[in-house]
Amino acid sequence: MITVHSLTKRYGATTAVDQLTFEVPPGVVTGFLGPNGSGKSTTMRMIMGLDIPESGTALIDGQVYSELAWPMRQVGGLLEAKAFHPTRTARNHLRCLALANDIPLRRVDEVLDLVGLTSVAGRRAGKFSLGMGQRLGIAAALLGDPGVLLFDEPVNGLDPEGIRWVRNLLRDLAAEGRTVLVSSHLISEMALTADRLVVIGRGRLIAETGVADFVARSGTAAVRLVTPDVAAFSAALAAEGASVGAGEDGSLTVEGLTAPQIGDLAARDRLRVHELVPILASLEDAFMELTQDEVEYRPSTNAGVAAGAKE
Amino acid sequence: MSQTALALPPGRYRFSNAVRSEVAKIATLRSTVITLGLTVVAGLLVTGLVTNAALGHSPGYYMGFDPTSEALTGLIVAALTGGVFGALLITAEYSSGTIRATLAAIPRRPVLLGAKTGVTAAVMLVFCELLSFVSFFLGEAILSGGGAPSASLGSPGALRAVVLTGLFIALMTLMSFGFGLIFRSTAAAIASFVAVVFVLPLVMHGISEPDVRYLPTQILTDSVMRTVRQGPGGVIHPLSPTVGILLMALYAAVAMGAGALLFLRRDA
Repeated sequence: MITVHSLTKRYGATTAVDQLTFEVPPGVVTGFLGPNGSGKSTTMRMIMGLDIPESGTALIDGQVYSELAWPMRQVGGLLEAKAFHPTRTARNHLRCLALANDIPLRRVDEVLDLVGLTSVAGRRAGKFSLGMGQRLGIAAALLGDPGVLLFDEPVNGLDPEGIRWVRNLLRDLAAEGRTVLVSSHLISEMALTADRLVVIGRGRLIAETGVADFVARSGTAAVRLVTPDVAAFSAALAAEGASVGAGEDGSLTVEGLTAPQIGDLAARDRLRVHELVPILASLEDAFMELTQDEVEYRPSTNAGVAAGAKE
Repeated sequence: MSQTALALPPGRYRFSNAVRSEVAKIATLRSTVITLGLTVVAGLLVTGLVTNAALGHSPGYYMGFDPTSEALTGLIVAALTGGVFGALLITAEYSSGTIRATLAAIPRRPVLLGAKTGVTAAVMLVFCELLSFVSFFLGEAILSGGGAPSASLGSPGALRAVVLTGLFIALMTLMSFGFGLIFRSTAAAIASFVAVVFVLPLVMHGISEPDVRYLPTQILTDSVMRTVRQGPGGVIHPLSPTVGILLMALYAAVAMGAGALLFLRRDA
């Protein structure tokens, strides 16, 4: 269990994290979502005692990180891609860490095997690709078999197979009863991995909720309708108070009525229906709607197609 | 709440855990072995060349000749090694990002700093004492073999000079470690060390020559290594070995103290 209360961090005039309060319960994957620069990493660094907060607390099972008896056996953190010396081998890097917390050295080979780095364990870590470095970071986080895990952007640099592996790993760790907090700016990734969401923007809490609730709460519910009787149907819908928009493919987008209501209307007025599909707001839509005022860095114009696609 | 497969052992991690981790870190870096190995080769080469050059002169040359300090000349190379080594042990952690993993394992910063300082000082002290003795024996063997005046460990002040030279360079290493803590950048820390140890004496000669005796380099060569007082007439009156070593300890303490204060307070 991670408990963050009124956590605040300033860098000069910039408030990176502002009165942030949330909880990360055990047994589920909690996604930590926010645009770039919204304070996710700073918050995670404060939870792990690396950055010192201006005010507020971040507790792990009721304790400040620096007071933990066996930090690596209680908390595992992947906070940056490369937290190892480039000329030290992967195995030696993990051994140095294991010694610091009395972790049996056989555990080093276990986690190397778990992350799939056994064959390169004797190679200098500086020669690793971004993805291999990420796996070594995950191995270090798992070294002490901790009950609480923090992963900051764990899928960065991983190939599709690696991404799927991390996703399953996070879910397995949570299923074992562990507390798992994973940050991402990739909403689609969170939709697949997380059970709960903590959403922040500009260092402030925007939402703390289940993924399904988050989507249901925001997001405009609309219904896609395909009918040959466009004119008659539009008039009937308007008479019922719904707003009707035209889709590019000749379909209608109806807001203000549910799909069953539209179906009933069609039966009453003997209008033909070829397609009737409720459009659920995606997690992405919900996120964009909630954070549109909170984005720290945005392109100066909307013309940049590539920039928009990457966000 | 949080279930773990490995049960937590009783108690908590100790200072000894931090020490073992730091020793393993030094031992698993190839650069450590290479740096120390090169220091041995270069240091002994300097001692060999200097003592060899002191052979076969007229008797007048040997007035005030100090065979002990001649045989310790190679340790000046170790002073540079200490400066680089001391700085790198902390700055390399910052430049590589390892410091984050280190602090995640040992989050009590005084414990980590104590272990790092202790291991750094111990490694350099043992290394420099060994090199100091080897350099002394090599130098004296060359001098006596070539018929020049030579010393033994029993000669007045010789043992003190050999032992204090090793200790002095360990203190210089800690001063550089302090610079590393302050700047966290390898370039800035090593530049500071070189400025204080090798550039400042040159500048000071032009400003106030008598005060050169307070600088680390001058203390090392004129107070610590020397067993025969220089004749009268010099502008610089060297400090006594005891005052010299205490002053170097003060320099190291100031750099370490400032570095430690910053390390304990700022974000990693």
